[in-house]
Amino acid sequence: MVLLTLAEQAHAILGEAVDSVESDRKALTAVRGAVTTRSGYTIHEISTATTVVREYISPAGIVFAIAWNGIIHPDLTGLLGRYAGEYEEALRQTPRKQGRRQLMVKANRVVVEKWGHIRDLRGRAYAPDLIPSGVSINAIQ
Amino acid sequence: MPFSKLLHFFLIFMIVVVCGSCGSGDSGPSSRGSTSGAGTPTSPAVSGNNVMVITVNGSLCSSNSYANKSCVSVTICIPGTSTCQTIDGILLDTGDSGLRIFKQAISVSLIQVTSGSNPVAECIQYADGSSVWGPVKLAGVVLGNETAVQVPIQVIDYTFAGAPAACSGAYQTPVDAGYNGSLGLSFFAQDCGSVCASSAGNGVYFACSGATCSGVTVPLSNQVQNPVALLPVDNNGVIVQLPSIPASGATSASGYLILGIGTQSNNVPSAVMAYSADASGNFITIFNGSNYSGFIDTGSNGLFFPSPSTSTLPDCAAPASAWYCPSATRNLTATNEGTTGVPSGAVAFQIGNFDTLLTSSNNVFPDIGGNNAGVFDWGLPFYFGRNVYIGIEGKVSSLGSGLYWAY
Repeated sequence: MVLLTLAEQAHAILGEAVDSVESDRKALTAVRGAVTTRSGYTIHEISTATTVVREYISPAGIVFAIAWNGIIHPDLTGLLGRYAGEYEEALRQTPRKQGRRQLMVKANRVVVEKWGHIRDLRGRAYAPDLIPSGVSINAIQ
Repeated sequence: MPFSKLLHFFLIFMIVVVCGSCGSGDSGPSSRGSTSGAGTPTSPAVSGNNVMVITVNGSLCSSNSYANKSCVSVTICIPGTSTCQTIDGILLDTGDSGLRIFKQAISVSLIQVTSGSNPVAECIQYADGSSVWGPVKLAGVVLGNETAVQVPIQVIDYTFAGAPAACSGAYQTPVDAGYNGSLGLSFFAQDCGSVCASSAGNGVYFACSGATCSGVTVPLSNQVQNPVALLPVDNNGVIVQLPSIPASGATSASGYLILGIGTQSNNVPSAVMAYSADASGNFITIFNGSNYSGFIDTGSNGLFFPSPSTSTLPDCAAPASAWYCPSATRNLTATNEGTTGVPSGAVAFQIGNFDTLLTSSNNVFPDIGGNNAGVFDWGLPFYFGRNVYIGIEGKVSSLGSGLYWAY
């Protein structure tokens, strides 16, 4: 019951409070998944037929990162929230590299990375300033 | 000149003529030099109806627009007829399944795949966020001198109907992509699989009414798929054979794609171990004390993996910051394991300084790589000096049941 309550609150946008939004889940027509507690943060998982999205929540209740895997990349516009604009701008200025199979886009306040292969596309987005102290970027997978 | 040689000459002439009319991508950027360098290492000759030539930045590539590009030539036909065209500059991509060809390179008529009365189209997203969009059409596809198979392929056409948001930035021309098309020969029989057969919201397949395209389920047989799996005999996998390349690189390289595993005298497994992959197409790669999902992909043009430290493998300065630029060539080792943990085998590899290597006129390098956040991507350099076997799902060989890689 407690888990269900947490899960209902879990579907938030990067940089916003965990209890602020359920729009991700609705936009993705997603199913609530597991809630995992780690040292210094919590992971909330939501699933669609195509993609699993994990949202990383700080002790202060702020979404500091998202990660995903699936047969498609999720639409980041909704998931990135206030960071979507600067991501799109930085993406436009990131030269496309033929032959490469991964992408890193660094904007002022957000980093987006994509990697993987057919049937297993992966990625993550995080706001470096929001990552709780002691949490490694490598934990965001 | 004997008749057979005349015929040979005539056939080559025909291929040149046909491709001269179809390869608008042939004028791609040649920003990299290709007139001098360390020659063209070539694999020992292999012959048979199940053999295709691979060139890495060689004669089958439509341009040298980027390093470590593996190219083949594919013939497509009006289904059920002998009206065909041969198209080169086709990227050999073992990280994808199915044939995709730019509309600009196609001159034969293909048959639209439909859902009800609406044409089916596809949005394929690649790992780097790039994408291709266009209709799914039935083609006769000839690989090597095999009999033609009738198979759904994707015609890459960004103007088709209305692309979904995920494909709003899709490649528009062969020059954008650096090739005329791609031949996906991963161990997956279809590019999407059961999810796209059961869920309309799969994000990959769409049915279009006028300019409006909506998600649609597509049965496995109508999905874009690996044409090798449909061959009458040589259908259980492929072998990619590429020669060793000097650490300083080569101008180009030449090897073979052999269809089938243990189905003919030229594809009997020898001295290799099979590593099973999971349902997502990964095995396990252990590097620097961590376990990663690993995969082997001719379509990746380097070795891409997490840097052990910025002192060992620093990123290059912009604009090549996606690559590693160590102060000296690094000798590294990783261990690959099948999904069950066995077998387990160490792989030694080298990473050199990308910026330094690329100042030469070479195009092919065994030792270029870059950072990857979360997986170990054994790209084309892994294939140099190896025979890599790829076992297709649902098919059996003496190496086991697909999905597997063996080397």
